[in-house]
Amino acid sequence: MNKAKAKVVKAKSKKVFNVVITYCILSIVAFIFFFPCLWLILASFSKSGSIYSFDGFFPTEYGFDAFKALFTDTVMYNYKRWFFNTLFIAVMSCILGTLLTILTAYCMSRFRFKSRKAMMKATLLLGMFPSFMGTIAVYLIMTQFNLINQHWGLILIYSAQAPMGYMVQKGFFDTIPYSIDEAARIDGASNFTVFVKFILPLSKPMLVYTALTSFTWPWSDFILPKMLLIDKDLYTVAVGLMSLGETEFARFAAGSIFIAIPIILLYFCLVKYMINGMAAGAVKE
Amino acid sequence: MKALDTITAKFKNLPSAVAKKFRAIPSELAGKFAGAKEILTQGNGKVTASMLVMGLGQLIYRQWIKGFMYLFVQAAFIVYFVLTGAGDLFGLFTLGTREGNAWYGVEGDNSVVMLITGILSVFIIFLYIMLYISNVKDAYRTQCAVDTLKEPLSFKKEVGALLDKSFHKTALALPVIGVCVFSILPIVFMILIAFTNYGGDVVPPALVDWVGFKNFGKILSLGQFAPTFFKIFGWNMLWAVLSTALNYFAGLGLALLLNKKCVKGKAIWRAFPILAYAIPGFITLLGFKFMFSYGGPINYYIQQGGGEVVGFLGLDAKWTARFLGLGVNAWISIPSTMLLATGILSNVNTDLYEAARVDGASSWKQFIKITLPYVLFATTPVLISQFIGNFNNFGIFYFLRGGLYVDGYFLASDTDLLINWLYNMSIDNNYYSIGAAISLVIFAITSVISLTVYVLSPSYKQEETFR
Repeated sequence: MNKAKAKVVKAKSKKVFNVVITYCILSIVAFIFFFPCLWLILASFSKSGSIYSFDGFFPTEYGFDAFKALFTDTVMYNYKRWFFNTLFIAVMSCILGTLLTILTAYCMSRFRFKSRKAMMKATLLLGMFPSFMGTIAVYLIMTQFNLINQHWGLILIYSAQAPMGYMVQKGFFDTIPYSIDEAARIDGASNFTVFVKFILPLSKPMLVYTALTSFTWPWSDFILPKMLLIDKDLYTVAVGLMSLGETEFARFAAGSIFIAIPIILLYFCLVKYMINGMAAGAVKE
Repeated sequence: MKALDTITAKFKNLPSAVAKKFRAIPSELAGKFAGAKEILTQGNGKVTASMLVMGLGQLIYRQWIKGFMYLFVQAAFIVYFVLTGAGDLFGLFTLGTREGNAWYGVEGDNSVVMLITGILSVFIIFLYIMLYISNVKDAYRTQCAVDTLKEPLSFKKEVGALLDKSFHKTALALPVIGVCVFSILPIVFMILIAFTNYGGDVVPPALVDWVGFKNFGKILSLGQFAPTFFKIFGWNMLWAVLSTALNYFAGLGLALLLNKKCVKGKAIWRAFPILAYAIPGFITLLGFKFMFSYGGPINYYIQQGGGEVVGFLGLDAKWTARFLGLGVNAWISIPSTMLLATGILSNVNTDLYEAARVDGASSWKQFIKITLPYVLFATTPVLISQFIGNFNNFGIFYFLRGGLYVDGYFLASDTDLLINWLYNMSIDNNYYSIGAAISLVIFAITSVISLTVYVLSPSYKQEETFR
């Protein structure tokens, strides 16, 4: 009798121990991921900008000076300008890129044409080349088109290269049953109508996902803007923030937080889609 | 050992497989040209007219708009070809013959621009050939329709078909053009550059020339480049393996931890890694650089504790910088693996665990025998792409230690990966042709590795196991 009881107690204590360990690890993980963010947030509220006047991780005095300077002191670092440049480039590339990617994915999923297999293989192959292998050529092409030092040049590149990543979207369209298409076709709808009226409304999650990815890429890219934009007034935030030194640390932190917040909000709103996986179709057969 | 056998078996089969492919070519070609043969033998005079002048046949059939459009294409192509196309195409082979000389006011040939316009002219010629074929086919289709006493399609109907039956042609036109100009053209350009002597002193106005495989020889054997190449390559492989393994298993572990029944408030715990995931990479990297800089907080505490300032990312910080890179990369990449694994784990068949528990398997055994194989199976493609991503991880060391050149390395530091070296060589120091050759080597390595891993992976060998 007693022995059995002892066994139960032992099992219970083992379980409690297990739970405690789990929570300990989780806390450590949370700390590791959260602390650098907290550090940046605190730094952005420091009164003196330089990293040398910090008490370790913590500023000596707090204030809104860095944020104020970000938008008022624009002689050396015109953050306001950079921010709107980035916004413009990202929004335009997002619209064009999403449109092209969705169209490509839809065609690859629904149509069976001669060069389809070849095109799919080609995209796989092209994806294996180092990503900025062609940057020099892109630079030369842009000089040929007279699009150096212009935002439209960047937008053109971002949206033209976006369809290369159509595979995820194609996988999603593959899960939408063909019976929908067929039913609509029997009712006399053209392929264009089927796409606009039936498929698009069903693929809202995918549209959102595509828009998000094609927005964040130009939003945080630094290689292309750094190469193609020469005037400081045309910089994007990523390029601009890179030019800030250790004495401008608070300004860097404030600028980073300002540009990270929209993305973080977007991600948290969309995390549901990301966890459930893109493959889950909107319609069950 | 088993893996080795599979590989050798693959290679043994290779010659026969290749031979089979080649033997199939004639019949395949015959199939492709059957249509052409039919048009050539059955086509009437109007089709022949279309063959001679694009659109002529259509005009004889009184298909005015279409006919004039084809005619316009023909005229535009001829004008293009005579004015610039022929010269561009020729320039692709010569890469310029007249050297510019500012002193005498001689405007010479710009070899690099000639290379690009040359590739572009090849693209345009291909496009023209395709249009030409479509023109002949169209004329033949009209002939067939007329022969069988059917009404040939009106222009309006054909335009309508572009939104319906051949919607893909309309929809894919823009993406294909975009990808051709901004993805394929640059890659073709770089591949060709690898076989020239472009770079160093040889930049326009000097003339660039074709040199064959010399650049590859330079990388692999010449004093200046070869030692650096092999040193960086070794570290690059180590880095890719270590960082992929670390990120993968840590992400999987985190997902399993969050999946435990006893964990309450999963959404809140999950929010912290997602926060890290959402912050743009360059901010994270610059932030960590500040954290470990000479004046940063870590060094502050070291000094407070009476220690000397440590240059974590300084000139001679070989291994600390490398480990720091691994850590920072893990901080950035673990959350995405976690999200992925969470999604996959939610699809595991719970019956399997039930059965395992009935049979008395420990939770460790359940992990090894059920969870791990399943997750590995489902994530092999992702694992490959993560490996390639890490192999070509440009950002980490560009931000943490960019622009640093270390003794014993040619234009690189001891943390640089091949891709960073490529950047240093070609963008910062004008060694374009060597840079292009390096990127071809990177391409060869990554594609061989990913193909091998894919062939050996469970998702390839036993596709149906978990279905």
